[in-house]
Amino acid sequence: MRQTHRKFGWIVCLFLTALMIAVSPTGAQEKMSKDEWQVQMTSAKARITDLEKQQAGLKGDVTGLQGQSDKLDADIRACEDALYAMLGVSRADIEAFDKELSSMENRVAELQRMSDAELMTHKDEIIRIDSRLKEMAKSKIAMIPRYGDRVNSLQAKVDALMKSLQKEKTYTVGTWSRDRDCLWNIAKKKDIYANAWMWPKIWQGNRDKIKDPDVIKPNWVLKIPEGNELSKDEKSAARRYYHKKASAPSGAGE
Amino acid sequence: MHKIRLFLIAALFLSGGLILSSCSSSPSDEEMAQLNRLQDQVRSLENDVRKLQGDKANLEKQVAEKNGKLQQCQADQEAVKKGMGK
Repeated sequence: MRQTHRKFGWIVCLFLTALMIAVSPTGAQEKMSKDEWQVQMTSAKARITDLEKQQAGLKGDVTGLQGQSDKLDADIRACEDALYAMLGVSRADIEAFDKELSSMENRVAELQRMSDAELMTHKDEIIRIDSRLKEMAKSKIAMIPRYGDRVNSLQAKVDALMKSLQKEKTYTVGTWSRDRDCLWNIAKKKDIYANAWMWPKIWQGNRDKIKDPDVIKPNWVLKIPEGNELSKDEKSAARRYYHKKASAPSGAGE
Repeated sequence: MHKIRLFLIAALFLSGGLILSSCSSSPSDEEMAQLNRLQDQVRSLENDVRKLQGDKANLEKQVAEKNGKLQQCQADQEAVKKGMGK
């Protein structure tokens, strides 16, 4: 009997403990006390007051800035109109100039990435850009520093491209015994003119070194002028040479 | 047996007290709704303020750029005047 009572006592204890845990603050964490509610209400109201103040201030700032921005737009437009009127050009002229310049800048940037050999295949285009850029530099619009500076900077790049194009091809003379180098044979080489009859071009292009076209010396660095046909002067020099050779006694000049 | 009875009585008082205290200090549903409305208002205002701060920063940037553009244009005008005077 005593044991039954003790058992019953323990069961009731366990039940009450479970009940205490269930209703204790830790067991009902989501439940807010009145004090906490009051604190949160006060804090929310204060935050709202503060945010409304910030909002009003910001709205004022934004309105002010918008007005400033609109006024600046009008001022810029008026300034540009006055500038273009001074030069006697229209806004459309400026836009067209700017567009053309931008397109040339992009193309020159592409050309700058090319090798010298690739550049040679775009020689005509580079010359065209150079010539157009020189015209643009003379235009009234180029008097506006922001365009003048762009034109000058682009011209410097185009000049560098032109310089790459003008890099003269050279040939270093070897020995007769080993290379059989004479003007005729040099001109005949595939990477020179691939045409022996072009030899007077080398002669005339190197008059400072070559006094007699039959005499060239090993290690001379000869300029190989560009072109695939002889000029009038070169033809005439060749004629004089053949004439002289024909009238000279046999064996002379060899 | 007597000890157990004493323990049971104490435990009943304790749990009863706890239940009573936890029930009586809770805010009502209406009060909770009021707090929720305020918290929603705070969130909405915070969003508005953030947006306005962004707008303000953008406008400040635009104004600075436009000021630069205007100064550039004025400098261009001066340069052109000088260039034409030559």
